[in-house]
Amino acid sequence: MRVAFILSEIGSGIRRNLSMVTSVILVTFISLTFVGAAGLFQLQINQMKGYWYDRVQVTIYLCVDNSSEASCAAGPVTEDQRAAIEARLESDQFAPYVDTVTHETQEEALVHFRDQFANSPIVDSVTAEQLPESFRVSLVDAEKYEVIDEAFSSEPGVDAVSDQRDFLEAIFRYMNWASVVALAIAGIMTFCAILLIATTIRLSAFSRRRETGIMRLVGASKAIIQLPFILEGVIAAVIGAVLASATLWGASRFLIDGWLVNTFPQTAFISSQQVLLLVPVLILLGALLAGISSLLTLRRYVKV
Amino acid sequence: MIRFDDVTKTYDPTSQPALDAVSLDIDRGEFVFLVGASGSGKSTFIRLVLKEDRASRGAVYVAGQNVANIPSWRVPRLRRGIGVVFQDFRLLPNKTVFANVAFAMQVIGRSRAVIRETVPDVLATVGLEGKDNRMPHELSGGEQQRVAIARAIVNRPGILLADEPTGNLDPTTSMGIMKILDTINQNGTTVVMATHDDDIVNTMRKRVVELRGGSVVRDDAQGIYAGRPEAMAG
Ligand SMILES: Nc1ncnc2c1ncn2[C@@H]1O[C@H](COP(=O)(O)OP(=O)(O)OP(=O)(O)O)[C@@H](O)[C@H]1O
Ligand SMILES: [Mg+2]
Repeated sequence: MRVAFILSEIGSGIRRNLSMVTSVILVTFISLTFVGAAGLFQLQINQMKGYWYDRVQVTIYLCVDNSSEASCAAGPVTEDQRAAIEARLESDQFAPYVDTVTHETQEEALVHFRDQFANSPIVDSVTAEQLPESFRVSLVDAEKYEVIDEAFSSEPGVDAVSDQRDFLEAIFRYMNWASVVALAIAGIMTFCAILLIATTIRLSAFSRRRETGIMRLVGASKAIIQLPFILEGVIAAVIGAVLASATLWGASRFLIDGWLVNTFPQTAFISSQQVLLLVPVLILLGALLAGISSLLTLRRYVKV
Repeated sequence: MIRFDDVTKTYDPTSQPALDAVSLDIDRGEFVFLVGASGSGKSTFIRLVLKEDRASRGAVYVAGQNVANIPSWRVPRLRRGIGVVFQDFRLLPNKTVFANVAFAMQVIGRSRAVIRETVPDVLATVGLEGKDNRMPHELSGGEQQRVAIARAIVNRPGILLADEPTGNLDPTTSMGIMKILDTINQNGTTVVMATHDDDIVNTMRKRVVELRGGSVVRDDAQGIYAGRPEAMAG
C-alpha cells in the first residue's frame, strides 16, 4: 500500500513539475557527460602512459674510437669497464629501478641503424666502428630515469646517457594538464547539477506544500513525506546518467573505433567496451548527487 | 487528555507572549470552546498541542505525556492521535472526496481493504453519503468542511482540534457542522474548538475557556460567549 502510495505521489510530482524534472534530466545528462569524458580521458592517459612507459629505455652509450666526450679521452671502452658498468646495472643498488638490461654491440647497432634509415643514402657510408655500443636499460618506473643518468654519465668508459627526458616530460605535462582541465570542467558541471537539483526539489516541495502540510497533520512519518521528493530527483538524475552513458558510448564508438584507431594505428586507444565500465559509476554518481542534494534541501524546506 | 501546566509561548521576545502562564486541564471526552478576540492565543494553543511549536515555558501534556519529551521521530505518532480541522478546510483540490479522506489513511500505511471499508462509513457519519467521487470544487463550503472533518477522524483520534471550523460558513451550515462535532464528541472523542461564533457557543452550552491577551480569563462549565463585538474583528 505504502509503496503504491509513494509511487503515485512521485508520479503526480513529476507530472506537476515536468519542466523542472526535464531540466534536472538535462543538467545531469550534460554534467555527467563531462564527468564521463574526463574519466575516459584519464583512462586514455593511463593507457598511453603505460604504452610509453613500456617502451622507455635509457641508453648508456659507451666510448668508441671517435668519441668526443671528455669522459672518453682515455680511448674506447675497455673490457673491464664494460663489465663494471654491467655489474653495477645489475647490482642490488639499482634493482629497484632497473627492469632489464640488454647489451647492444656495434654490429647490432649497425643493423638497427640500417633498419631505421633504410631509405637514406647515408646508410651505405656508415660502418659498425662509427657507431657506439650501448646498454639498453628498461626501467621499472619510467619516471625514475634520472637516477640512471646521474649514476652512470660520469662512469669511466661511458660516452653519454640518453634518457628521452625532454620528449617524455612534454608528453606527460600536456596530458596531465588536459586531464586537470577535464576534471575541473566536470567538477563545475557537477556543482551546477547539485544546485539545480536542489532548486528543483525546493520548487517541487513548494508546489506541494499543501500535501505535505496535510501529511504532517495526519501523522505521516518523515520518510513518507520526503521519499517522493528524493526519489523524484533520483529518478530524473538516473535518467540523465543513462543518457550521458549512451552519449559517451556512441561518441566513443564513432570517434575512437571509427576514426582514431584507423588514423593513428600506432597508438593504443581505449575501447568502447571500457566506456561500459563507466556506466554504473555514472548512474551511481547521478543517484548520489540527487539523493544528497535533495536530502540537504528537504531538511530545510519540508518541515516535519 | 490535554493539560497545560503554566505554559507561556513567546514568538517574539520584544512583544507580549501569545500565551501567558496558561494552566488548563481538559478531560477525556470533554467538549471545550476556546473563545477570545483575534490574537488572544487560540491558534497558538492548538499549535502547542500538536507540537508544531514548543512552549517557551511550562509543560504541555497530551494523553499524559509531556510533548516536550517526545523525540521528533515520534511526533507523527502524536499527531495520529489528534485530528485537526481548520477554517480553510485544507482539502487537496485535485483529489476526490473519497481520495481526500483516504489520503490520511494511505500516508500512515493502512491497507487498501481497510481504507475501502472505513472511508464510506466515515463519510456517512459526516452526512456525505454518495458524494465520494465529487471534487472539492463541486462541493459547498459546508460540505467541504465535512470532508475535512471526515479526514480528521478517519484514523479514530482521541482528540479533535477545530480552529474556527465554522469561520467561513453561514449560521445554518455552521449548526450542521456543530451537530457532527457533537456526535463525534458523543462517541468519546475529546473536542477542542476555537471560535468567534457567539451563537454557536451560546447554543451548545459546553465548557467555555476564554483567552484574553494570552491569559485564561474565564473557564465556565456550561458557558456562554460573553465578550462580543470586538471579537468579530478577526
Ligand atoms: N508564527 C508566529 N510568529 C510570531 N508571532 C505569532 C505567530 N503566530 C502567532 N503569533 C502572534 O501570537 C499572538 C496570538 O496569535 P494566535 O494565532 O494564537 O491568535 P488567535 O487567537 O488564533 O487569533 P485569531 O482569532 O485571529 O485566529 C498574536 O499576537 C500573533 O500575532
Ligand atoms: Mg487563530
